[in-house]
Amino acid sequence: MSITQLDEYRYLIPKSFRNGMKVEGLIYASKELIGAIERDETLKQVANVATLPGLVGRSLAMPDAHQGYGFAIGGVAAADLEKGVVSAGGVGFDINCGVRLLASDYSLEEVKQKVDSLLNQMFCDIPCGTGKSGILKISFEQLDKVLLDGAHWAVENGYGTPDDLEHIEENGRMVNADPNEVSKRAKQRGRDQLGTLGSGNHFVEIQYITEVFDEEAAKAFGLRLNQIVVMIHSGSRGLGHQVCTDYLEVMQEAMPKYNIKVVDRQLACVPIKSKEGQSYLKAMAAAANFAFANRQMMSHWTRKVFERVIGSGSLRLVYDVAHNIAKEEEHRINGRNVKVLVHRKGATRAFPKHHRDVPRDYFEIGQPVLIPGSMGTCSYVLVGTERAMSETFGSACHGAGRAMSRHAAKKDISAEQLIHQLREKGIHIRGASKSGLTEEKPEAYKDVSAVVDVVHYAGIARKVAKMVPIGVMKG
Amino acid sequence: MQEVFRNAAYGFMSVVAGTSKIESRQNRLIELQATDRENLLVRWLTEILYLYDAEKFLTSDVKFETLTDTLLKANLLGEPYDVSKHELKLDVKAITYHQLKVEDHDGDWIARVFVDI
Repeated sequence: MSITQLDEYRYLIPKSFRNGMKVEGLIYASKELIGAIERDETLKQVANVATLPGLVGRSLAMPDAHQGYGFAIGGVAAADLEKGVVSAGGVGFDINCGVRLLASDYSLEEVKQKVDSLLNQMFCDIPCGTGKSGILKISFEQLDKVLLDGAHWAVENGYGTPDDLEHIEENGRMVNADPNEVSKRAKQRGRDQLGTLGSGNHFVEIQYITEVFDEEAAKAFGLRLNQIVVMIHSGSRGLGHQVCTDYLEVMQEAMPKYNIKVVDRQLACVPIKSKEGQSYLKAMAAAANFAFANRQMMSHWTRKVFERVIGSGSLRLVYDVAHNIAKEEEHRINGRNVKVLVHRKGATRAFPKHHRDVPRDYFEIGQPVLIPGSMGTCSYVLVGTERAMSETFGSACHGAGRAMSRHAAKKDISAEQLIHQLREKGIHIRGASKSGLTEEKPEAYKDVSAVVDVVHYAGIARKVAKMVPIGVMKG
Repeated sequence: MQEVFRNAAYGFMSVVAGTSKIESRQNRLIELQATDRENLLVRWLTEILYLYDAEKFLTSDVKFETLTDTLLKANLLGEPYDVSKHELKLDVKAITYHQLKVEDHDGDWIARVFVDI
């Protein structure tokens, strides 16, 4: 069974695509990107998600979608709060992996000659790489406070200022978090990792703005041409990974009790209102808070590095978005307001202007949507739209999306060649591991500009500004 | 089946660390119950991942006491990570159920497990 092209940027997966689909699937892609999406298991996985009980609307995939475990990465699925299910796999292992953007007062010319010094100092001050422990040693009691209060805990302990909290999704604290629902094992894995970047595709980048598409929105977000900004991409580390692992088991064991059968074990799920479902959501919120605190701490250290190396650490937080999360939200479906649980796995919330969850100073513009590109290419700031609310539960893409496996990426280039190539393009780089660098080479990902163009022209987010890196620190 | 589970442990460790210099100086007792063979393999590797990520314990060998489709009792041999001696290669987030299989073809075993990195 094939998919149907609805318009230039929308492809429908009909219910006849596979047995058991309760809702349709919808893929946002261009003619070029749909080819890549069809080559792996993405369509099948979007269709598999559509078999879950209690979904509303459609099972969605963004243009950066690629094959994941159970759920495709780049997927969005909303379940009716009363009749639907929650799936730990629908959020993924790296709970609240996300991105934040800090805007400096500097322009490119003022910083260009100091990029190496900034990177060297960042590499000293922000723990990163495989197996790296954090600087901070905290007790389990303190960790519980982190899990309860997220970025608020960080600010109260001297990492950043209260102003930062206004510009974080959920204000940096998911209020339904309960540390008691997080296993001792998850805490044990995460305790030493608070305030660490991690490895893989996580990074801190020094970028500058090369293009402004929407002057009004850019001005509201405090962004201008040639301005130096810093982007941080990290998540909830081992703590979040273990929470997902634990609850995949809990959900698998509980499914027969609720008479739920799934077509892929990685889709294990339970009713949202069940005891297990509520426990997971409280544990997930706690892990999300760990990630908010983590990014807040790294922002603080980045500010200190800027202060030390170039004299001013004034880096204003533009916004911080989660791209692996499940959240209770109200959406308008078929003319009525419905409370749903939106799973975003590799997708970003993209709320429009006048939504109550948009920060006060962006209220007339909309929520910033931060889209990191692959190493050495470019990144984007977008803004949420009304159309996203009516079509995608207020969601858009989250990045470039992998096009090549990590293994394949390493085959034809050495770390030294890659560092040289990037240096030729004016991009300085520090990486904790050589193989980690080559796995993240630009060609391993889809073209982020093509991905962003799809969401822009499909109308589910609008382009505001484009950034190009001059300094990259990889875990 | 013991060979499958032992090789899965070796395979996993070779992904996260250089295995040639891990000595069998300490042990950790693992006892697991599972719903089926596939579930047991995921739980087994999840234990080894946990010991690595939470305690920095690197596994070099395994001594099984009990191994059935749903029960496992084994001693993991190895030692704590030492920065001067061991090389860490990769952070593994989790062991997944993606395209998981553990099959017995008349005594020839095939197992496949994907880890999320």
